[in-house]
Amino acid sequence: MKNLLEIKDLKVTFPTDDGFVQAVDGVSISVAPGETVAIVGESGSGKTVTSLSVLGLHNRKLTQISGSIIVKDKDESLDIASAPLDKIRGYRGRVVSMIFQDPMSSLHPYYKIGSQLAEAYLVHHPGQKEAANNKALEMLSLVGISEPKVRAKEYPHQFSGGMRQRVMIAMALMNDPAVLIADEPTTALDVTVQAQILQLLKDLQQKLNMGILLITHDLGIVAQVADRVSVMYAGRIIEQGGVDDIFYNPHAPYTLGLLKSVPRIGSTGSERLKAIQGQPPSLINLPTGCAFAPRCEYISLAPADSCQTLKPDLLGLADSHRSRCHVPEEKRDKSFAAEIKGARV
Amino acid sequence: MPRFILRRAYFAILTILLVSIVVYGVFSILPFDPAALTCGQKCTPTIVEANRIKLGFDKPLWDQYWLFLSGIFIGRTYGSGSAEFTCPAPSFGYSFNKNTCVTDMLKDALPITINLAIGAFVIWMIVGVGLGLIAAKFRGRYPDALSSVFVLLGTSLPTFVTGLFFLIYVTIKWKIVPLSLKGYVSIFDEPVRYFQYFILPWLTLAILFAAFYTRFTRATVLETLGEDYIRTARAKGLSEKTVLLKHTMRAALAPITTSAGLDIAGLIGGAIITESIFNLAGLGRMTLQSVYEFDLSVVVATTILAAAVVISMNLIVDIAYGYLDPRVRIK
Amino acid sequence: MRKNAISTRVLAALSAGVLASTVITVGAISSANAATPKAGGTLYFLEHTPRLDHYDPSRIYTGRDLAFMNSFHTRTLVAYNPVPGAAGANLVADLATNTGVPSNEAKTWKFTLRPGSTFEDGVAITCDHVKYGASRVFATDVINDGPAYLQQWLDIPKDDKGNSIYTGPYKNTPAGVAAFNKAVTCVGRTITFNLNKSIADFNYLATYGVISPVQKKLDTGDKYDLNPQSSGPYKIVENSATQLRLVRNAKWNKSSDPIRTPYPDEVIIQFGLDEEVIDQIMFEDSVPGAVNFTGPLPTNRDKFFKDAKFANRRMNNSDPYARYLAFNLAKMPCKEIRQAMYYARNAKAILDYAGGPDYSGSYATGVISPLLATDFEPTKVVGPSDYKNTDDVVDPTTGFKPSGNVAKAQALMDSAKTKCPADYKKATETGIVIDSRPSASDNDTIPINVAAYARVGIKISYNLIKSGYYPTVMNPDKQSDLSNSGWGADWANASTVIPELFTTAGGFNLSQNSKDPAYKAFEDKVTLAMKTTDRKKQAALWKELDKEAMNNFWVLPTVFGKTLEVWGSAVQGTFFWVPQGHLGYGKLWVNQ
Repeated sequence: MKNLLEIKDLKVTFPTDDGFVQAVDGVSISVAPGETVAIVGESGSGKTVTSLSVLGLHNRKLTQISGSIIVKDKDESLDIASAPLDKIRGYRGRVVSMIFQDPMSSLHPYYKIGSQLAEAYLVHHPGQKEAANNKALEMLSLVGISEPKVRAKEYPHQFSGGMRQRVMIAMALMNDPAVLIADEPTTALDVTVQAQILQLLKDLQQKLNMGILLITHDLGIVAQVADRVSVMYAGRIIEQGGVDDIFYNPHAPYTLGLLKSVPRIGSTGSERLKAIQGQPPSLINLPTGCAFAPRCEYISLAPADSCQTLKPDLLGLADSHRSRCHVPEEKRDKSFAAEIKGARV
Repeated sequence: MPRFILRRAYFAILTILLVSIVVYGVFSILPFDPAALTCGQKCTPTIVEANRIKLGFDKPLWDQYWLFLSGIFIGRTYGSGSAEFTCPAPSFGYSFNKNTCVTDMLKDALPITINLAIGAFVIWMIVGVGLGLIAAKFRGRYPDALSSVFVLLGTSLPTFVTGLFFLIYVTIKWKIVPLSLKGYVSIFDEPVRYFQYFILPWLTLAILFAAFYTRFTRATVLETLGEDYIRTARAKGLSEKTVLLKHTMRAALAPITTSAGLDIAGLIGGAIITESIFNLAGLGRMTLQSVYEFDLSVVVATTILAAAVVISMNLIVDIAYGYLDPRVRIK
Repeated sequence: MRKNAISTRVLAALSAGVLASTVITVGAISSANAATPKAGGTLYFLEHTPRLDHYDPSRIYTGRDLAFMNSFHTRTLVAYNPVPGAAGANLVADLATNTGVPSNEAKTWKFTLRPGSTFEDGVAITCDHVKYGASRVFATDVINDGPAYLQQWLDIPKDDKGNSIYTGPYKNTPAGVAAFNKAVTCVGRTITFNLNKSIADFNYLATYGVISPVQKKLDTGDKYDLNPQSSGPYKIVENSATQLRLVRNAKWNKSSDPIRTPYPDEVIIQFGLDEEVIDQIMFEDSVPGAVNFTGPLPTNRDKFFKDAKFANRRMNNSDPYARYLAFNLAKMPCKEIRQAMYYARNAKAILDYAGGPDYSGSYATGVISPLLATDFEPTKVVGPSDYKNTDDVVDPTTGFKPSGNVAKAQALMDSAKTKCPADYKKATETGIVIDSRPSASDNDTIPINVAAYARVGIKISYNLIKSGYYPTVMNPDKQSDLSNSGWGADWANASTVIPELFTTAGGFNLSQNSKDPAYKAFEDKVTLAMKTTDRKKQAALWKELDKEAMNNFWVLPTVFGKTLEVWGSAVQGTFFWVPQGHLGYGKLWVNQ
């Protein structure tokens, strides 16, 4: 298998007080070496649940998952969706690592960062204290922290936001993982730091040839770093393709709506933001048919009643660019292109 | 850090001094005449006056306080003529009811109270924190349910109920633990008798506190388990055991230590009810008896001592917290 | 009066006007006396207070503590005979060769020491030791709380404030020392006391430790109270917050001590035990060689006294105290109203509330307790004619009825209306105020009393004095119309009751009766009795005086109290020692 990570038909359900929630409904994504795959969507689209499932970090008692999540570790591979917990732990932090949104709360406030880094190494290489400490210093330099020896003896609260995220990245990479999952890594940082972190990730990816699964709601980040993109809505991928496809030739009405709603530099203040009308659906009471139908402007272009009654499949004229929509692709290309052009003016 | 400690220590001493002034002041504005309490039916005004002079109540208040305060450093002399005697420094006064210098009384009573406090402390910390951890780990399942029953019982049963139950049933009726008539022995002299003497009072106190710490630990651990850094720890591949015992407990340590420090300080002031029931000649019982007998020198001394212990413990806990939680350290 | 050894709780309940009961000296002699006494073992006394008030012989004043120390530790010139029954009230020689020789109309007393008695350090006891011991009470600033009779009676001048010019051995003036040396003299082994008035029963004072030997070089003043020197068969080795421990005094020899029989190897008083715990220990017999030093809790009395299991381990006797309410004659001069209050009172209800005649006492017939066997006789003025009778009937001689003789009380009130209208108005409208100490039973007993007096139109209210009770009521300015009180004789002679309570020189006269027309004749008779060395004649005088005081209604007598004792199954040789009102501690032995 060439891909470092292959998620196939992942379904995640968990119970709430009001009923069962289908958080993820048949998601398939793959990440190749050196490739950055972005999952984009609003809150509640299922992107974070997907990312947590990859590490098996979901609530194992309550959550039911089906499908497969195959992670490749050199010659071996493991299906995380069905593997026992102790095997999964062997892969966590070593083959697939994760960094989270808020680095301040994600680092243990009471332990020095040097020891937290070393711990990540020692879990998978027990007893090698000296090697762990050396690797920690090495990784700190790698992520661009000066005076690593001094800083390794400090506590997380003594670092700035951007530095903490660097530390988290260093910690995630202690064991040279094949895949790095980054869940909203820059959301808590300000814009200049954001750019630095993204650049750092890209540099590291190049050095280590690792795959990155990037979860975000920010289209700007996607445009900067992603190679391929999956757009999620209501637990399903509604469009999947290369970054250029998505941005220049979107096939799903939702994707088009997202792109149109991004404010443009140079637009006047009096222009209203083009928000998508309506609200995302409740995941407990999903509408029959296409989940986006209640908000879609292009229903008229689809065959009669198909949007309300039939769930569209993920299809595309080109295999590398697929979407879910009942409106025939040729019709979409024409109308959407005009909108994109118009929006770009 | 040292400057921080010094400053806090300075304020602690100031507070203790202030407490001593307030305590002394309160006892002097009592609505009754303390000298009149020293004798019963056969009291003539002459005897009352003689007692007043003997106890030093005839002097003005500031003189009395100064004699008391200076006595701590240079000792204090009582009586006159050939019946004169001195309570050597540190003198906390003289108990005319017991014909002993208060300092000697404290010397006898303090080891008992300290042994009681420490023994109970060890038991309740082990049981309380341990049970709290188990309850948090098995949340919602039967260990958690059992521990809530224990918490309910422990916090509802007052010490005089558990204490009397232990004494009357376990010792006297069922003869499981023998009756200790001979009093306190040091653990180094007679270890078996020592444990027989303390085990039931320890359990009486421990049940109450263990219940509180079970609940407290459970809540703190559950709260910590929801933190992001615990998720990070799991994401690193750490075993649940390490996550719980190393990462979670380390975070729960700070609030638990603070609470424990203050609880044990309060106990050293004297576990009055437990000491009275089991007849332990400790500080609590000494204070209680002195209150009943209007033995003011003793009551003043023990009140100030208890306040000093609490204030010092506050200081220690504050300093310890700085070590436990790096975020509050002052550079 | 010696201080009550009875716990404050019991005393409070009883002194709130507890009523009478049958006084039957049940078990004056315990039936477990058959066996031969064995030496050995440890005798325990279980006590809930933190310690005895005093151990210094010059400062002990509580009957029970005195009995204890005298039995084991502190010998005196004379002592009570440690035998059961009335004979126990007789004096026998202890350190002296006889019970004292009076002369000069009982103003001079001589005692001769017998040879061979020693202190615990082996030093022989001499007359000078006794003289020194007697001097200590004069240092009232150091040695306090003991009986003050020596200061009152020794022939030493007083200053204008009424204090003796001799101020004790620690700090004194040459004039004072000279005066003392004249009043107390030693010639060889004979000590002579010169009194300033005739005291026919001065030798009874010698049963107290105020006249007992003390070595001057070992006298540590206030601290002597912790570890006084023993002259008896046991000495103190531990006096701590936990226990008082007495072990055998090797220097005591039997030949110089005809009274004592020290059977146990050790005697220990355990302090600070919870009262319920002590009762449980007695129930379970966890410590078979233990005596309950204070008596069972009221809630447990039935368990001990109604269960045959404890038949040989309990005793129920009169205690030495007579309880009463003192009328403040300055505020209540009208005799009819005082009488009306006596007859209106519901003595039965209060006694029943406190536990009934079995445990709480019998209706008082005067202020002399039945335990003062020689001087006691029901006055037939108040109370039942037979003091043991607790039936609720009208006594034909006195008109007393336990639940109150309302008809008689009403008749008295009616005559008071015309005879003393101002006092009548006060009793029925303003109300009478009674001094009392607050107790747990107030909520229940006060309404009983209010209702009882209201039957004849008398309004009462209570002045509850929380602390410093006696100093307050003894202040004539602060005393109310009636004051709750009780009194026990200092020794087995009513000379420590009648004069104390009813004469101005007495020192505990709450009745303020000096302006009463009957007072002068009364006082003269008291003076005569104090001089009468013929015991029988003296006893007859006390009985008359008791009667007269009751006739004048200077006090409202309520109950003769009871004392309950329980002990473990191994304690033998028990009997009720009449003069002290407790077990004869010195004769106890432990059956191992």
